[in-house]
Amino acid sequence: MSVQSQPSLSGRPSLSAKTLQKYLRQMLTIREFEQLGEREFRNGLIRGYYHSYAGQEAVGVGFINAMDLKRDYIVDHYRDHGHCLLVGIDPSRIFAELFGRASGVSGGKGGSMHMYSAEHHFLGGDGIVGGGLSIAAGVGMALRRQPEDGICVCFFGDGALDTGTFHESMNMASLWNVPTLFICVNNLYSMGTRVNEHSSLSQLVDRAQGYGVKTEQVDGQDVFAVAEAAERIFKYMRQNKRPYFVEALTYRYQGHGIHDKASNYRGVEEEAKWHGRDPIKLLTEYLIAEKVMSGKQIEALRSEVLHELEAKVAEAAAAPLPNPADLTKDVLL
Amino acid sequence: MKKLSMHEALNLALREELKRDNKVVLLGEEIGKYNGVHYVTRGLYAEFGKDRVIDTPISEESFVGVGVGMALLGFRPVVEMMRMDFSLRAMDQIYNHMAKLRYMSGGHLSVPMVLRGPEGPGPNPGLTAQHGQQLTTLFAHCPGLRVVTPSTQYDAKGMLKAAIRSDDPVVFLEPGPLNNKQGDVGEDDYVVPLDQAEVKREGSDITLIGYGASVALCLQAARELEHDGVSAEVVDMRSIRPLDMRPALESIKKTNHALVVEYAWQSYGPGAEIVARLMAEGFWDLEAPVERVSGQEVPLPYAANLEELSKPQMDEIVGKAKQSLAQ
Ligand SMILES: Cc1ncc(C[n+]2csc(CCOP(=O)(O)OP(=O)(O)O)c2C)c(N)n1
Ligand SMILES: [Mg+2]
Repeated sequence: MSVQSQPSLSGRPSLSAKTLQKYLRQMLTIREFEQLGEREFRNGLIRGYYHSYAGQEAVGVGFINAMDLKRDYIVDHYRDHGHCLLVGIDPSRIFAELFGRASGVSGGKGGSMHMYSAEHHFLGGDGIVGGGLSIAAGVGMALRRQPEDGICVCFFGDGALDTGTFHESMNMASLWNVPTLFICVNNLYSMGTRVNEHSSLSQLVDRAQGYGVKTEQVDGQDVFAVAEAAERIFKYMRQNKRPYFVEALTYRYQGHGIHDKASNYRGVEEEAKWHGRDPIKLLTEYLIAEKVMSGKQIEALRSEVLHELEAKVAEAAAAPLPNPADLTKDVLL
Repeated sequence: MKKLSMHEALNLALREELKRDNKVVLLGEEIGKYNGVHYVTRGLYAEFGKDRVIDTPISEESFVGVGVGMALLGFRPVVEMMRMDFSLRAMDQIYNHMAKLRYMSGGHLSVPMVLRGPEGPGPNPGLTAQHGQQLTTLFAHCPGLRVVTPSTQYDAKGMLKAAIRSDDPVVFLEPGPLNNKQGDVGEDDYVVPLDQAEVKREGSDITLIGYGASVALCLQAARELEHDGVSAEVVDMRSIRPLDMRPALESIKKTNHALVVEYAWQSYGPGAEIVARLMAEGFWDLEAPVERVSGQEVPLPYAANLEELSKPQMDEIVGKAKQSLAQ
């Protein structure tokens, strides 16, 4: 698939204006959230790791909106802030987790890579590359044994394809007819290593062949393409109780983590090319061209989102640290 | 001597050994072009090229296995775990193959490789439960593995060079909290023996025993105790498997009191083994039970206050030392 050559979004007239505006708000929220997060890291409120989702928004927005979170579940990896926002966790609780506060989504014990919310069917956040793959197959096993036709969605990076557990999990999921959707978010880099330098095949979708699982690539910059694929795939999975593999082609704007300088290993030309197909830019261009929203309205929405998030930062920053007695809570000693 | 950080000292050791012996190869994630996440392999890819400094995919189990295979044919692979936590993925190769091939083959085969990487809560804070663990105990438990950990920049260079030259499989644990700390390093081609504990500070009232990052805590406690008129001797175990008990046993002959300090979880850990051996071999020299201060037995939490509390606490070290002397 030649994603680069597509200048604009694949037409999707069936989405209502309300849905389109919701997508835009969600993408703007993620983008602004990550900028505020990185700012607060530099301000010293956040420590350790910080993996930004900026640039990859359309992947999460397209897939997670198509889920039914009353019965479906998500197993994620460490680049999880955007997905937490999309499942509906209050941003102040995500910021509070990043600030290590008691009101954080994991009580301040997890931090950036370890967000969990049972109530939102969000099963983490995982710091180990590929750590969630077999768990997602297991969640799918459990869902298969329940009457609601639920699906498990598992997000991971291109680097996770190199772990043995990826292949083991795909095999079991197929063998046991498990309704787990494996979404490989190919942002071209595993830390500082380009896909063609860590993977024997540069089309990652080819490496998911061999397990009898349906596979496809999707343009992860095009929220309409992702939403279309998501709807179609979930329908197939609920009907057939089968796993599915998707390679979503996208790009992360920041370094791998906050300490990583991407300019050390990738060129400004490549970055500019991807910024030219920025998922938010593509959507706003469409909305303006189709007269769904004016440029002015979009700017107003952006500042509204930013304003709301600033309030969430302030709320989280004012929250207390965990109680020292919590150190030994929730672990068998 | 020159002042170098721990990662610079380790880098120097690798550079010297890569130059000395063309059988030495490095394997690991982001160690080459990227120059290493903790800088230990900085510049080596540029100097020695992609056949000596090999960037691997995220396939820990199998690139440790690749190291074992190369070692069987006489190469001396030095395999980096970006964080030692990720060695858990490779435990089958480490425990079932790297450690046992010499024995299982009746001595026909040997695996002269080094598995190295940072462990514990550092250099930076906030590493959390899957990136800042101190897993020394797991390696130390397995016969066939030599398990060592330096506490100074000088030892780091000399011990890594010795580890590369050793015909045993060596697990070389780099104390994460010390990664960026500076100290004196020799510029000559020296090695530090892998099986010798060392007295890092002389004293006469109590023996503080540590390894890796906890040696710095022992030295700090010794300085604090000095203000209160207590003279503490500090023993750096350096090798966790095998344990060299001689310096600690000699020391308690003089001090009659001992306290073991470690970042590791206490139960079944190196500290437990050290205490058992002090009791077995030095019982009649002791005037009080050997005390222990360890990391809290919890997954490393994120929140700043909880993370701090999870580490061995200075006031507890000093307090337990005094308590021991009061007996
Ligand atoms: C088992 C394991 N090995 C190594 C690491 C260190 N590490 C964290 S993320 C990463 C790169 C992963 O890249 P990718 O899977 O493409 O995901 P992305 O960060 O691009 O979203 C590496 C090597 C880890 N966390 N776990
Ligand atoms: Mg990637």
